Amino acid sequence: MESFDCEKEIQQLRKTNRIIKKQLERSEADRMRLEDINKKKESLLKQVIYELQEYQNKLEERSQELELMVFNLQMMENKMSTLGSLVADVAHEINNPIGFIAGNLTPIQEYIDKLLSLLDIYQQTYSQSSEEIQKKSNSIDLEFIREDLPQLISSIKEGTDRISNLSKSLRTFSRADTEQKVLFNIHEGINSTLVILKHRLQANKNRPAIQVIKDYGEFSLVECFPGQINQVFMNLLANAIDALEESNSGLTFDEIKGNPNQITIHTSLSEDKNHVLIRIKDNGIGISTEIKEKIFNHLFTTKAVGKGTGLGLSIAHQIIVQKHKGTLEVNSVLEEGSEFIITIPIY
Amino acid sequence: MFKAVVGHSNDPDSLSAVEDVIQQCITSLAGDIPQAGILFAAIDFEHSLILQQIHQVFSGIELIGGTTDGEISSVLEFQQDSITLMLFCSDEVEIYAGVGRHISADTITATKQAVEQAKAKTTTAPSLCLTHPESLTTSGVSILNGLKLALGQNVPIFGGLAADQSKYQNTYQFFQTEVLSDSVPILLFCGKILFSHGIASGWHPIGQISKVTKVDKNILYEIDGKPALDFYHHYLGLLPPSMEYPLAVFEQDTDNFYIRAPIAYEPESGSITFFADIPDQAMIQISEAGYEDILAASKASFMNALNNYPGKEPSAVLFFSCVARRQILGTRAQEEYENTKICLDNYLPICGFYSNGEIAPIDLMNQTQFHNETFVTLILGVQ
Repeated sequence: MESFDCEKEIQQLRKTNRIIKKQLERSEADRMRLEDINKKKESLLKQVIYELQEYQNKLEERSQELELMVFNLQMMENKMSTLGSLVADVAHEINNPIGFIAGNLTPIQEYIDKLLSLLDIYQQTYSQSSEEIQKKSNSIDLEFIREDLPQLISSIKEGTDRISNLSKSLRTFSRADTEQKVLFNIHEGINSTLVILKHRLQANKNRPAIQVIKDYGEFSLVECFPGQINQVFMNLLANAIDALEESNSGLTFDEIKGNPNQITIHTSLSEDKNHVLIRIKDNGIGISTEIKEKIFNHLFTTKAVGKGTGLGLSIAHQIIVQKHKGTLEVNSVLEEGSEFIITIPIY
Repeated sequence: MFKAVVGHSNDPDSLSAVEDVIQQCITSLAGDIPQAGILFAAIDFEHSLILQQIHQVFSGIELIGGTTDGEISSVLEFQQDSITLMLFCSDEVEIYAGVGRHISADTITATKQAVEQAKAKTTTAPSLCLTHPESLTTSGVSILNGLKLALGQNVPIFGGLAADQSKYQNTYQFFQTEVLSDSVPILLFCGKILFSHGIASGWHPIGQISKVTKVDKNILYEIDGKPALDFYHHYLGLLPPSMEYPLAVFEQDTDNFYIRAPIAYEPESGSITFFADIPDQAMIQISEAGYEDILAASKASFMNALNNYPGKEPSAVLFFSCVARRQILGTRAQEEYENTKICLDNYLPICGFYSNGEIAPIDLMNQTQFHNETFVTLILGVQ
């Protein structure tokens, strides 16, 4: 019995010995493996720390650049705000003298008509005028004055109308926004912007005038920030003109005339009547898919240094999406043109 | 009735170990006859001898299993160089084994053979599939896709890929009394089995985000236009890629990622082979895990499975944990098991192993996925 117990104990001890031996072997292998893993972790963490430091340096540089940019923007904003009110004041100041001129044109026309009719009576009564009168009449070319005077008056009238229109557009465009949205005639905003851009739309020695096709829908005033919305129209229309001018490169005046530059502005209510849609379309150079992805990115521009800031579309997007909870989308086919679609909720 | 028993021995002597394990099982069975079993064994044992012994005692048993990189059970908790056997008896659930051979030559045919072999033994539709396939000859994703194709989308698959204590030379799979390589053994549970599962990792992406620029299934050639090995050398110095530092692969345009672990590399071409496929043009980041992340994840996996168990009293728990977890945890590897044990009020038979890749659905049961670096919990039982 005792020898059986001893045998059992020996077996148990042998088993324990086998297990301990194996565990020792494994422990050594595991220790080496752990050292290896830790070396890797050390290297990984060092590299990540280095990357983070590099990233931090880049962020600091970027932060300094941004600070400078914010400062410049603030200066610009201040200047623009001063300019805006100056423009509004000047437009208002111009209105008064233009008012005098426009107001006096009708009496002038009447006076001239009266004077000319009086002259007619004189001429009929004294058909044989003195030599001195005859001489003077020839020297001043009385007949030409008679014909030209009404044309002069009508040209002054047109001039005053145009100045008055421009002054009104400048006042509409440069109106300062309040903290609250106000009711605004979107079409008036587009028209004002077009008047201000007229010098860029009209014909020049390289190309005929850009055709602007307006297709305005009927809807009531829209609650919005008019100054900001006008800025969006300005950015989109100025970009459309840039795209058209770029598409003219290498073409003659007549070639462009054959396929004229066009900007189509279409406004309507959405199908659910809850949104206003404004589509601004050009038949210019178009946008590639690659650029389309980045087009609303801050500081992204394809224009030459000094020509574009990369802010226009980014600001337009911000104004429509963030300030008005709307959408700004672009459809474009390279070489065929682009269409920007603004959606503004009205309810 | 569904009953599971477990035996576990760390005796390096194969015969002595299997006798130990069988004795423990017989005691726990208390007269019940087991239908099927799953054996997890370290690489150094005489596997053929062990399988024969089991079959001698439990004749006609449906048995599968494979080699591992560490074994877990409710008997000896965490061990290395041990064998652990879980046996199942039930009068409500039918359990049948099948095997597919030469998976590297034709994965689809091999997985189909395994499923057909198991299905041929019953007319009851399968509810769940357990597997313990080869990890070194074929991509884990290909094996899983083959199984999904053969089983249909409605049968969830669970398991771990066979391991060889990180030597990456040879793994073995067990089917009845056979010791195989390059094969896929499966165990199909048919009938009214109840189950729940949990899965968690603990690995986090770190460092810069890069892009896969050249890849062929699970062989990654280039990252950001440079050899894939350069990417690893950038972070690990001159040390080679290893499973503990896998890649986080981001799903398209999201912050969601899954983990792919490296298995081997080719210094001349600079390519790295992974346990499973990586999509071309995917955004990736190297990733790492600390002790606490790993332990918190395994506990979360277990708790999730436990809280979602649809029945009253579960009968068995299976764990499939990644090799890399054990390697990082080192002496704390036993805490993975201890952490789960303290969450249980009553004794439950538990069996599991450290694998070269885990298989389990993420959320929905019909979307089984292949994983690396995870801890999978599977809880089984009946009403």
